Amino acid sequence: MAVNGVYKPDMNRVPTGEFFLPSRRTNGFGVQAEDTKICVIMVGLPARGKSLIAQKVVRYLHWLSIKAKIFNVGQYRRTATPNPTAEFFDTSNSEGEKLRMAAAEAAVSDMCRYFANGEGLIAILDATNSTKARRRWVQERCRSEGIETLYVESKCDEESTIMSNILEVKTTSPDYVGQDPEVAAQDFRNRIRNYEKVYQTIDEDESDMTYVKLIDVGQRVIINQIQDYLQSRVVYYLMNLHIRPRSIWLSRHGESKYNLEGKIGGDADISDRGELYAKALPGLVKKSVGDNRKLTVWTSTLKRTIQTARFLEFEKLEWKALDELDSGVCDGLTYAEIEERYPDDFKQRDEDKYNYRYLGGESYRDVVIRLEPIIMELERSENILIVTHQAILRCIYAYFMNVPQERSPWMEVPLHTLIKLTPKAYSTQEERLKADIPAVSTFREKGSSAKHQ
Amino acid sequence: MDTLLTAEVAANSPRFRRRSSTFVDAIHDLPEKEEMAPAQLYSTESGRLFHSGRIVIVTVGLPARGKTHISVAVARYLRWLGVKTHVFHLGDYRRATLGPGKDVPDDYFFVNASPSSVLLRNKILKKCREDIYNFLEHENGQVAIYDAVNAIAAGRRSLAREFAKHGIQTLFIESQCNNERIIEENVRSVKISSPDYIGWSEADAVKDYLTRIASRIPHFETMEEMELHWIKLINAGERVLVNKCAFGYLSQRIVFYLLNLHIKSRRTYFARAGTTTTEDSYKADASLSPEGEDYAQKMGETLIQHREAERQALIDRGGPNDALKSLTIWTSTRRRTIETSHYLASKGYRVRQRSQMSQMNPGVCERLSEKRIREKYPEEVAKHEQDPYHHRYPRAESYHDLAVRLEPIILELERENNDLLIIAHESVLRVLYGYLMACNAQDIPKLDFPRNEIIEIIPASYNNSAKRIHIPDLPEQLIPGSPEDISIPVPPSNMPSGTQSGAISPFTGIGTPKMQGTPRLTPMHTPTPSIHVAPNVALDSLGITNTAPLPVGAGATATSVPSDLVERVSERVERPAKGPGGGPGTAYSGGGPPGHEAGTPPPQPLRIMETNVDPNS
Repeated sequence: MAVNGVYKPDMNRVPTGEFFLPSRRTNGFGVQAEDTKICVIMVGLPARGKSLIAQKVVRYLHWLSIKAKIFNVGQYRRTATPNPTAEFFDTSNSEGEKLRMAAAEAAVSDMCRYFANGEGLIAILDATNSTKARRRWVQERCRSEGIETLYVESKCDEESTIMSNILEVKTTSPDYVGQDPEVAAQDFRNRIRNYEKVYQTIDEDESDMTYVKLIDVGQRVIINQIQDYLQSRVVYYLMNLHIRPRSIWLSRHGESKYNLEGKIGGDADISDRGELYAKALPGLVKKSVGDNRKLTVWTSTLKRTIQTARFLEFEKLEWKALDELDSGVCDGLTYAEIEERYPDDFKQRDEDKYNYRYLGGESYRDVVIRLEPIIMELERSENILIVTHQAILRCIYAYFMNVPQERSPWMEVPLHTLIKLTPKAYSTQEERLKADIPAVSTFREKGSSAKHQ
Repeated sequence: MDTLLTAEVAANSPRFRRRSSTFVDAIHDLPEKEEMAPAQLYSTESGRLFHSGRIVIVTVGLPARGKTHISVAVARYLRWLGVKTHVFHLGDYRRATLGPGKDVPDDYFFVNASPSSVLLRNKILKKCREDIYNFLEHENGQVAIYDAVNAIAAGRRSLAREFAKHGIQTLFIESQCNNERIIEENVRSVKISSPDYIGWSEADAVKDYLTRIASRIPHFETMEEMELHWIKLINAGERVLVNKCAFGYLSQRIVFYLLNLHIKSRRTYFARAGTTTTEDSYKADASLSPEGEDYAQKMGETLIQHREAERQALIDRGGPNDALKSLTIWTSTRRRTIETSHYLASKGYRVRQRSQMSQMNPGVCERLSEKRIREKYPEEVAKHEQDPYHHRYPRAESYHDLAVRLEPIILELERENNDLLIIAHESVLRVLYGYLMACNAQDIPKLDFPRNEIIEIIPASYNNSAKRIHIPDLPEQLIPGSPEDISIPVPPSNMPSGTQSGAISPFTGIGTPKMQGTPRLTPMHTPTPSIHVAPNVALDSLGITNTAPLPVGAGATATSVPSDLVERVSERVERPAKGPGGGPGTAYSGGGPPGHEAGTPPPQPLRIMETNVDPNS
């Protein structure tokens, strides 16, 4: 993996072998806790960030180990009508109307099956659901299946937000694959106009329903009839979201003296090569961020991240929550020493790295819990650069890239590399910028004791 | 004069107490020393968290809309998370300024009040604000909750401006209510206990109170100021409007909490699960023994009788002849908690199983005797004795882990509208009790829930109180702590050996071999009948004891404070003896500094039990 002393990253690499799956919610005797089934129903005109929101909610829930799935009505519709024009969405077009209803039917049926099979706790119905009649229909379908409903309306009249969404959709939406962007944008505007003719916002008539209405990107929020904790948790997350374009940059600290010695944890200074990275970082950031963009730098409270970020001329915040995973009694040891002194622990950690908790320290699961404020703040903020540690970065990266929890602790996160993540409606884009400064590898493969290079 | 006034505020406010104890809701206490809150994830040098800055939460709403309840509840949650929070009730300052028994002038709340009323108003406000600034600027406070009516938009705008000058964010929380029933229930449960209404029937008192509000606060403007940060709760959370609250992590987290809060009054009961047939352990999930079944039935009957008697008492006091509030039961997914609920389920009560409520994982201590644990893990035992709240044995959970994992349950607990009975393992009960009564983290592992008592938490707007409901006729061996309980009870100091309760460890087989002669700490005070002083709580004949009273003479050190408001210096109150060999129930006050560190503690037994342990070991 190291070529000429330069470490080559492979963050998406997945180790093979059996993974310990998260514990099931039974007690082993068939006693099953009552679980709520919630259908989150998106409501709103096109280009209001519905798909982006749906995708984020699913990622967030996965990150919390709650199974969730999106049912995108558009995808069902596309199987019959792959590249429809705006006329298709005209309500006076009875053929289009019929096909769209059939797509909604198919999506809702699949969703009911998903719940019936116990595949998850939350489903997200991603469609415009722009009329009261359509919402009532979904409501009735869910009620007959014992599924709770939570309507999420994104209402936004801010021209600039809508425009940036249109720009994005015309380039990324499957409906406009291979089309001239200008033509696509015009068609998309016409499509929105057709929806506007029939659009009914959620109002007093629907006060019996559970809903949250996000007005102008969370400036105002109306929340009605929340029924349980899980719904409130989703609403809490939604309130922190915005749909303006932004990016997040992630970097590990520069190589530390402990890295050189192969020790984990501690609060060591950065090495000479780490110092080089710290000096190179402002240029790297400038190249990736561009000029005139407001950026805030977050570091942990440990020396190696603060030292790494110290040449960056942006506002900086230190977060205790970004400190490295606490390795308890193993703090300051090398992997070889851990294997020697705590052989059972070493083995157990390999078996279930996500849940394994160092003696007197933390597990990845613990870290995810303490990162909750960080994730919420990240969602609320715009452009953020985070300089932090390997385990923490894995967790944050896993959140944005939807990496399953049994895999995230095994991802390689190279030193001296700047990662840029840009959330888009259908996925998160990733770019990497490598500073050409050699560093040791701190990656330990499953089952090895990682003699550090 | 002003410093004296602060003392007066304390003196005239029953909820200002100088010391915390586990049997009284400590939500109005200021922590004496820096320590981690029960669900705090990490601490920072500044003492403030989440880069959220300092926030004043300002309540808005007419009287009897649950403002005080909301203030206290938000404070309870934030402090649980480790955010330094304090509630400033303007009413306390009003009462302190006016002196006992005096009321504000009739035009006090008027927009065009007379000059003398305006002066009085300003004097009261000034003191309260000074205390808020002091808390935020000099005591590392992060959130101050300013509990007042704040009826006028112009006043709210100037408040926000004033705080902004000090670099403090202002978040308004309005409670709006157009449901008469909720308002009346609030008036009944909170407002009419004042001396003004002694001798009135409840119905008349409620009517009079509402008329008085209407005439005294004729102007009220609901929040519509689009430039301010506010949350409007309509009808106890049926609907929530949020305006510009995305200014910080904490503000959003508060909204999250408020989404689960309602202002209706309801009770929470805690009960232990019954005992099981076979040897009990964390991994084995055994069914109830015949004794356990018997316990389940007696517990259920006691609770039903108790609730019926309380309802009757309310009617006798002139309350409405309503049906009882529904009762919901939560159990964990363990067999014995579910089976303990069967009796009540058979009576038609709704039972929900909550997987998050499973007990603390004992890790390597599973089925080890205390002796074995001491042999195998002497270092861990030493660490555990140092910090029983945060320490975890290898592969085990700590109380802190449990508290963090119980977050969904805590929010669901706030959300529940029905009365609620929680049947769970003692470790879970400890943490939930610790949340509801604002216990210090270090006290939580020591809380004790004997099986012959149901604990009832009664919410009042200023603080919660707890009651014990005795379950009669249980065999003594059922009473002690859980077999696989990992806790080290710290014995109270200065305890004359003669007063140690014989009831505590009556049986050495099933439960607590090492408990012989070890006094147990109780989460609440069980007073002897002679010292009941609380005026507004009806006692009845079901063995229910009141919790408000103070042991006579205990801790009477501050001479300026009325004697019935003196806080007990002692945190440790012995349970009254029930078994043979015990002395009378004794409240004691430590002679030295409060807390168990005074005196020479007896050796601290580790209470990790297993059923097959030799009782004589």
